[in-house]
Amino acid sequence: MSSASELPEYDHLYRLVVAEDAYLIREGIRSALERDKDEVEVLEYCPDLDSLLRAVEEHRPNVVITDIRMPPTNTDEGIQAAAAMRESHPEIGVVVISQYVSPHYALKLFEHGSAGRAYLLKERVGHRIQLLEAIREVAAGGSVVDPKVVDVLVEARMRAKNSLLSRLSTREREVLAGVATGASNAAIAESLFLTKRAVEKNINSLFAKLDLTDDKSTSRRVQAALLFIADSDLETGAES
Amino acid sequence: MNRSAVSRGAAFEQLDLDSEQRDSAFGTGLRRADLAVVALACAGAFAAAAIVATGGVVGDPTAFAAVLVANIATLAVAGLAWRRGRPSSLFGYLLLAEGLLVFVSSLSGSPDSVLHLIGVLGVWATAFGATWLLLVFPGSRPSAAGWIVMGIALATFVAGELPLILTSPSLEGLTTIASCGAACPANPALAVHAPSVADAFRNVEGVLQATWGVGLLFYLATRFAWASHARRRVILPVFVSAAPLAAAFTLSAVAFGLAGVESSGTARAIFAGTRILYPLGFVAGLLLARAYAGEALTFMARRLVGRPSVAAVEQLVRRVLDDPQARLVFWLPRSEQFVDRHGAHVALDPARETVTWRAFGHGDARVLAVVHDAVLSEDPELVEAVGAASLLALENRRLERDLLDSVDALRASQRRLVGAASAERRKIERDLHDGVQQKLVALRIQLELVRDLARESGLWNRLAGLAADFDDALDDLRSTAHGIYPPLLADEGLEAALREVARRSTVPLTVDLADVGRLSEDRETAIYYCCLEALQNVAKHAGDDAEALLRLWRDRNAVRFAVSDNGLGFVPRPAHNGAGLTNMTDRIGAVGGTLSVRSTPGEGTTVLGGVAIETSDRIGHVVSV
Repeated sequence: MSSASELPEYDHLYRLVVAEDAYLIREGIRSALERDKDEVEVLEYCPDLDSLLRAVEEHRPNVVITDIRMPPTNTDEGIQAAAAMRESHPEIGVVVISQYVSPHYALKLFEHGSAGRAYLLKERVGHRIQLLEAIREVAAGGSVVDPKVVDVLVEARMRAKNSLLSRLSTREREVLAGVATGASNAAIAESLFLTKRAVEKNINSLFAKLDLTDDKSTSRRVQAALLFIADSDLETGAES
Repeated sequence: MNRSAVSRGAAFEQLDLDSEQRDSAFGTGLRRADLAVVALACAGAFAAAAIVATGGVVGDPTAFAAVLVANIATLAVAGLAWRRGRPSSLFGYLLLAEGLLVFVSSLSGSPDSVLHLIGVLGVWATAFGATWLLLVFPGSRPSAAGWIVMGIALATFVAGELPLILTSPSLEGLTTIASCGAACPANPALAVHAPSVADAFRNVEGVLQATWGVGLLFYLATRFAWASHARRRVILPVFVSAAPLAAAFTLSAVAFGLAGVESSGTARAIFAGTRILYPLGFVAGLLLARAYAGEALTFMARRLVGRPSVAAVEQLVRRVLDDPQARLVFWLPRSEQFVDRHGAHVALDPARETVTWRAFGHGDARVLAVVHDAVLSEDPELVEAVGAASLLALENRRLERDLLDSVDALRASQRRLVGAASAERRKIERDLHDGVQQKLVALRIQLELVRDLARESGLWNRLAGLAADFDDALDDLRSTAHGIYPPLLADEGLEAALREVARRSTVPLTVDLADVGRLSEDRETAIYYCCLEALQNVAKHAGDDAEALLRLWRDRNAVRFAVSDNGLGFVPRPAHNGAGLTNMTDRIGAVGGTLSVRSTPGEGTTVLGGVAIETSDRIGHVVSV
């Protein structure tokens, strides 16, 4: 299991392309990344989808940070860019920053695989650790989902009676949520004040309960957990 | 004569003018003018009888007087019937004038030579008049063929009778009835005394008179043969009553004028009978025309029940008028012109001879006109019946269309209102996301950057608290913006947006969502909010144990949705729909869709709705998770 926290720090210089059409946010990103300029180098700031794709061809960055909604259509250009790069440059990690808490967009980002993809709410940009962690994670092929997105889902699910999620113990639920955000076992253990071994035990039991296959790849584990939380109770047999 | 009677008469005239003197006066009492005609006819008949009876000129004065009286009576009756039954026609007056000529002809019974001559001329005029009546019926001017017959009649007088008057010592009228023989007074117009010449002219006259009679018969026969089926019914009584007259007229010319046969009492009686009876043929014709018009009205009325199209009404008009070229045209008051049923301008030129038209409407306001063959002007009752029936049918259609128009207008305005409201919500959502939220997010980022710079722990903690408050504010803003208008609906359509609703639903909810493609924004919004409202109703009213099913699918005609639950249910009372249900109905109604709610206490509730698919709706745009 490869995890960003296990990577030696300051070992890499991450080469970045950033796409964000809103000036204020772009300047925020600039200032935030300025703090870590010995680890992060921004090659170009792009205002829309076309210039982003061109810059990717030109600079071949390790990581792209992109707004979800940009010109030309102001819908989900960031996700389109991630999908396009999955084909053309599978080695490039993509951090999509979004103002939407809707899990739909995160799930859509993972539609063609979750490896090297992160979905963060925009306000995380200011948080030095969270942004840097996401950059490191996607560069290493991992996945990150903003905890708030997972929380919204879990909250609604918990209020709904008879949800599959309510069959889990509180601890298991917390661990599942942690898995869904892309956190490593070690990180989950740290945040829940558990031993790494206890986390592993919880993961094994809850994956068995939910009939999910525990995948050794973090990114696929994230996808499975997130999908489960989002849609497990919803589908009738008729739906694909 | 008192004043009120006069003023009432005037009022009748006024009414008559109001209706453009078209409406017949059948069924009303005799008017002053009619009474005057009756009085005049009585006086004329009495005077004629007196002249003939006291003249001592005619061989059989009683019979002759009786014939004259009867003839004047039938002509007066027919004239009155026409004048009242078809006031727009001159024909009634022609019949009355003929009666007057019959009175003049009675002077041939006078012993005074000048009066006798005038009477003889009157007899001729009576014959011309009768011929004219038969030629022009039911109009007032003869056709080209009619003019030929009339020419022969005039030639008979000019080439036969006129030379006879100038050369014969005594004059007899045309008729076999008024023969005076030796008792005839001397001819005051005698210019050359030449009985042999006169005899020659008498033969010429006889030949021409026979030709005249045959021509008239032939004319009547061809006219009857060529008439349309509808018109034949009207002409028939006139033909039946006039043919014997023309035949007797011809025979008398041949037998008594040319062959020199002495007229017998029987022959005179037959001839007299045909003269007396033929005016009644006109009355029968008029009555049949009215009867046929009434029948046509019933026929049309029966077929105009329901909602006949304009084309169907026009077809019916053609059939009833027996005129394949007949058309209905419609008056456009704003542009002051007639248009046909396709909306093309129609110029109605009064100068065209073969086609004419008649407008129908209310009071002064025209609504439509029937354009028809000019021949049909002679059947005004029929055209009137057809026009009135068409007017009624199309008025009904127009009323119904006006009603539908107003319903459509109402729906369109509802649609605009709902559309405007949802466009406004979308705009607010955009403003919140792109404006306020973007700025708050930028500030939040800056706050974090500042916090990094804070070395002093008190300040650092204060900033951390501020950051947490900021996050709360952002969360609130985010959920407000989402509640105002879900961006997913605009970006990805119904399926994705409803799935997201389901993910956040607090009611246990199963979904069965098909990819229905994209619809117009107003219809997507309507369906989305209806589903949302229905789910909220489940959360509020269905009870704690309720589970819901949300379905979205598309069939050949419509995109349909259903929200059903197994909750408490209720007894539906249409008059007491809550605001939620009214909202849903309004939203769906505004986009022309339908909504139904079924509920049984203890068994749950199902809200079922559908919105028709339009050709502009895109299919595809697959969204799957």
